[in-house]
Amino acid sequence: MPQFFSNKRLILLLVGMIFLVALISFSLRDRNHASLPEQLIKDVVGFGQTVFSKPTQYVTGIFNNVESLLNTYDENKRLKARLEDYASLQAEVNDLQLENKELRSIVDKEENLRAFNPIQSTVIARNPDQWEEKIIIDKGEIHGVEPNMAVMTSKGLIGKVILTTPYTSTVELLSTQNPNYRVSAVIAAEEEVFGLIEGFDEKRKELIMKRIDSDFEVKKGQKVTTSGLGGIFPKGILIGEVTEVTTDDYGLTQLAYIKPAASFSILDHVIISKRSITSVDGSDGDNTEKDLTEGAGDGS
Amino acid sequence: MIRFLVIIVSVLLFYMEPIFGLFSPIELNGDFYVLVPRFLIMYLIFVSIYYDRKRAMLYALFFGLLYDVFFIDIIGLYSFIYPLMCLVASFVVKFVHQHLIVATILTLILVAVVESLLFLFYTFIGIKTMSFTNFYQYNLIPTMIANLVFLLMFGWAFKYILLNRFNQKALLLQK
Repeated sequence: MPQFFSNKRLILLLVGMIFLVALISFSLRDRNHASLPEQLIKDVVGFGQTVFSKPTQYVTGIFNNVESLLNTYDENKRLKARLEDYASLQAEVNDLQLENKELRSIVDKEENLRAFNPIQSTVIARNPDQWEEKIIIDKGEIHGVEPNMAVMTSKGLIGKVILTTPYTSTVELLSTQNPNYRVSAVIAAEEEVFGLIEGFDEKRKELIMKRIDSDFEVKKGQKVTTSGLGGIFPKGILIGEVTEVTTDDYGLTQLAYIKPAASFSILDHVIISKRSITSVDGSDGDNTEKDLTEGAGDGS
Repeated sequence: MIRFLVIIVSVLLFYMEPIFGLFSPIELNGDFYVLVPRFLIMYLIFVSIYYDRKRAMLYALFFGLLYDVFFIDIIGLYSFIYPLMCLVASFVVKFVHQHLIVATILTLILVAVVESLLFLFYTFIGIKTMSFTNFYQYNLIPTMIANLVFLLMFGWAFKYILLNRFNQKALLLQK
């Protein structure tokens, strides 16, 4: 039997192991910043990935088109029924928007937490080993993407940017297990009820919203949106719908399960929202909270 | 031509993996099954079985490093596991017949080892909390099936390319 470990190989293996552990611990410590060589590799690989993913998306697009063509008749019937509602709703929205604008000009308040500039972007890859819920998109710092920005599809919020390089960025989805991942959210009832989205229930495939004041009554079916008070996200992006309300482990606050509005499984086009109002070094996720600790002490 | 084919195929497979990753997880009867495409490492294991161990390990190190930097931001994980798998494959193949079926089974087992190692690693650093039964049922088995399908479709082509290259090199050496 040939010897698997000759002395030389054994030493090499041991040195390799030590080197590996050192590298892993080094890169685990600071995963949210890419060093220059890392950025370079990411951009080069990202470029190749874009070249490969564009034709694939074209092909899947054709399949989707055929599928929607088959559903056209049913869909048309349903949409026609809703068209009349839509017209009246549109009129009402216009009216309210106009009124809002007027009132804003009266009180001299131009800035708005809801306003954001959308950056359209294409998903070029999903982390293939899928141990972490990450996708990579084809817009980066050059296009104005910054860490912690909200990422959504037309249906609702899906995650936030965690890492940027000049031409690509990495997005961590809401369905992550990362305990440092928080989104400040609000339940739109008669009055706004605040809470934090913290965690994802793997079994139910639903988000968990914690720290809801128990004085407020939260009901099943109410819509949950971002609050904009985390400092980076704009206000009013739909997250999902409440499916169940319970009290948390300590019985002090309420906990709600939220069915996400957007699907996390097949993603192709996403929108990054660049908030118009100044963003603070806020508390969406793992932040430094520099403003709060090093500021003038007045919270500014 | 065939000289560059070996590396071209690995680049191609490296870029195909995340594209197939976009289709996963698959929902069946309310359960989500995760299919992890492992095309590249399967090909590299084939390279180490049929062509050249050293070259396979070199490619494995290179692509493992790219994988680490681009996707998971932990350097040293794949760039260790990939060459290790190539090494193990080339060691095992000394004792067994180099038939395609044997190579396929060996490759599948090694892919399962890769998945299990990653499961252990991620559980250890606490990024994912998942019981082994869940991992086995929703990740490992679907992944094995998907990769088996891929191997059955392309295994013979890999073997053909690599053996051709091997023979070509052997001929060159004779001269």
